[in-house]
Amino acid sequence: MVNYGGDEVSALVLDIGTSTIRAGYAGDDTPKAVIPTCYGYTEEQGDGDVSMEGSEEGAQLPKKKTTLYVGQNGPSVWRAGMHVAHPVQNSLITDFAPIPAIVSHAFKEVMRTDPSEHPVLVTEPAWNTTENRERMAEIMFEEFDVPAFYIANTGVLNAFAAGKGSALVIDVGQSTASVTPIVDGFVLRKGLSHSGLPQLIYAHAKHTLTTPQPGRPGIQLIPHQLIANRQTVDATFPPKFTLREDRVPGVTDSWRSWYEAREVDEWVQSVAGVLDQGWNDQAAAQRGPRHYEFPTGYNTYFGAERFNVGELYFSHTPQLVASNPNLPKTIPALISSALTACDPDIRQVLLGNIVLTGGGSMLSGFADRLSAELQRNVSHVKIHAPGNPSERRYGGWLGGSILASLGTFHQLWISKEEWKEHGKAIIGQRCK
Amino acid sequence: MAGPSAADVRSVFSLPSTPGPSQPKAPAAPERARKPEGMSRELYSLIGQSAPTLVAQLAKPRLKQKPNLGGGGRVKWEWRSFQNQARSDGLRLSHWVKAGTPSDGEYPFAKYNVQNPTYTYTQDEYTKFLTDKEWTKEETDYLFDLVRQYDQRFYVVADRYEYPGGPPRSMEDLKDRYFSVCRKLVRDRPWPGDEATKSQILSSFSFDKEREVMRKKYLESLESRTQEEIAEEEALFTELKRLEQNERRFKKERDELLRTVLGIESGLPDVQADEEVVSGAPQLESISTTTTKKTKKKGVTEPDTPMSAGPSASNATVSLAPPVPKKQSAKSAAYDALHCIHRTEVPQLTTATATKAAHQPVYLRSYKLPAPKSANAHKIAQVLGELGVSSTRLVMPTKDNCQKLEALLEAATALVETKKQVDKIDQEIRLAQERLGQGSAEGDADGEAEDDTMDVDEPAEEGGRSQSVVSARSVRSSRGRKQS
Repeated sequence: MVNYGGDEVSALVLDIGTSTIRAGYAGDDTPKAVIPTCYGYTEEQGDGDVSMEGSEEGAQLPKKKTTLYVGQNGPSVWRAGMHVAHPVQNSLITDFAPIPAIVSHAFKEVMRTDPSEHPVLVTEPAWNTTENRERMAEIMFEEFDVPAFYIANTGVLNAFAAGKGSALVIDVGQSTASVTPIVDGFVLRKGLSHSGLPQLIYAHAKHTLTTPQPGRPGIQLIPHQLIANRQTVDATFPPKFTLREDRVPGVTDSWRSWYEAREVDEWVQSVAGVLDQGWNDQAAAQRGPRHYEFPTGYNTYFGAERFNVGELYFSHTPQLVASNPNLPKTIPALISSALTACDPDIRQVLLGNIVLTGGGSMLSGFADRLSAELQRNVSHVKIHAPGNPSERRYGGWLGGSILASLGTFHQLWISKEEWKEHGKAIIGQRCK
Repeated sequence: MAGPSAADVRSVFSLPSTPGPSQPKAPAAPERARKPEGMSRELYSLIGQSAPTLVAQLAKPRLKQKPNLGGGGRVKWEWRSFQNQARSDGLRLSHWVKAGTPSDGEYPFAKYNVQNPTYTYTQDEYTKFLTDKEWTKEETDYLFDLVRQYDQRFYVVADRYEYPGGPPRSMEDLKDRYFSVCRKLVRDRPWPGDEATKSQILSSFSFDKEREVMRKKYLESLESRTQEEIAEEEALFTELKRLEQNERRFKKERDELLRTVLGIESGLPDVQADEEVVSGAPQLESISTTTTKKTKKKGVTEPDTPMSAGPSASNATVSLAPPVPKKQSAKSAAYDALHCIHRTEVPQLTTATATKAAHQPVYLRSYKLPAPKSANAHKIAQVLGELGVSSTRLVMPTKDNCQKLEALLEAATALVETKKQVDKIDQEIRLAQERLGQGSAEGDADGEAEDDTMDVDEPAEEGGRSQSVVSARSVRSSRGRKQS
């Protein structure tokens, strides 16, 4: 037992991201529960429609008279007048009100476990604020009554998931791309750099889809929940579908924009790609077009434009830079700013241990392009990019799963006793 | 199957139980001979008991014993709570342990919780030894606390260092301060151990800030090279490699030529050594080889290197070139005398070989024994043969012996020359007398005959000639000795 360094205490690992919340048992290789972070809510008029809540996983917040709909059947199920809210923005929790309900849904409804019996490890981004982590600890101790708690950095955990103590973690998430230098399991905060690059990608992709392009009209992003039926049409032909007119009045703006974001995201995930060796019109044209069908039935082949989207990760066109002075930094710019802030002695170490992670990095050709970009400037680069999608998407969770099942880690837990004795200050002392 | 079912049927129909075939079988079964070991069950049931002869041959095959992995019985595990001694609070977590292991023993991972020893100082010590105008005590305390927290990981310490109101500190500043304080504490405190460990600890705390800063600067400049600079460096490097290769090829060809033209006399040195001299790329070679390279270089280019023939060297290692007094320091002369080193002037062989690589190789002294001139060689050899000395081979070709042999050869040559002159003059005198006195024909023939006998061995004359030779030699050698 000691030889392998592992000692399972059946800890729970909770990784709250912008798009999904991952929860599972420490020691597992994939999270047991992956549920969306955003949630739907309806505002009740007086004490009316309580019966509606019946079958869905929801939690009633008595004071506000709103019903929350969380989990897989939360925002994705159409409900009249349902709004969708995002408690996490830029990887930081901005609204703690629904967090207990969402976490409780993950632990109790999906995993069917009682968090008061298990120590809980929670992740945080490297730029998390002190108030946020203290609030998180408070929720865990006060509302879930966990016996022990720890909050660990996603960058460090991603490095651990790759089996490295020192690494340069490139994490491309749904809302944020970050480059985090890790030395001996500690984040070098001065070298940390992050930007809202994926949001730019999303905006660009949405613009590409919805505006008319040469050869096709602008695409309507109509949720499938609002479509009664549709007919199969050939590629690039106008769609033939009928709307569910009864539902249309009940659609809120926030739900529609949530849906559009999801549809665009799906399109990016399945169609978009990155050219291996920098932008080149010819190379983009040579790569085969990809087929994609929207819920309306409209389907077409996407050629060069699918690489246009991915290209934004690595370079911004001069027109774009001229039109928008506050563009988020590209991945190479993030890397170079992270490296210049680091000591010259460890730059070589970091470059030899690059860990690519995050769902956004799963675009086809992303890792190849990254290594091409890096090798253009520095000689010895080694990129660790797990080929297994779940390892890439849930790298932070996986690292937490590894960390929380180590025998030597158990001395670091903040126990309830310590929480009661020292209060919030212990979080900063223990979780460095 | 058939037996019981038949009995069941009988009991169902309440028939009297007839003695079936199965009933006597049951008591008979134990009587049956046991299945012999090593025979498969299927085979035994086929041939039955009728194969007693086989039993002898069917010894149990000797197979390797199956490893006992201890997996025989079930292992019981239990969910048990435990106390981690590395924790200061009473948190009890639970894990699975094998049933039967003693409960509440020491937690096996607690031993990994090691704390690095850190230095602390009192206010008194600080004011006495550690004051620094750049640092306040509070900031030093803060630094020491961080270093302790992060286990001397200075990268992390420098990253997290945020002393309110303090000046910005680089990693070198922090290291310098930390190590200097540690050094001072070790030096100025009473030391219980011995001096060796103290100096060892002191040296482990040594930190040269200027050097580190300089090194980092160099490193940074190395990293901040532009693409063109890198390309230029690379081009220069390949150019250098190309030049080296050309030089090597040129040398190889020249050596080949020398070898074919001059044979052993070409004195080709080790090709490898030569290359290094010509390569002119000292940065490519490690420091350890540079010293040996230097000596090699000297050996190749300077002609007056010691061609040593020490006392321990074989006797055959003799050079016949006469010792030429060289301009050398008294010290080296004394050294040479002490080690029996004789320095020889290397003859310039030909103009063709008068290049920097054409040096005098090591050779055996016996190779360089002087050969008598070819015209008189035969006669000289004869003379030496009379003395019982071989002109081509010396048993002991030491320097002295070689010199003596050379002198002897010289004397013999002179003797033979003189003898020739004498004979010639004799002949002329005789001819003149004959011309004066008698007819010429007979005298001519006589003279020729006499000349012949002188060249060819003639036992009658041998004694006298040898005598004369010896006497001439003794005279010459004594003269030579006087000269030297």
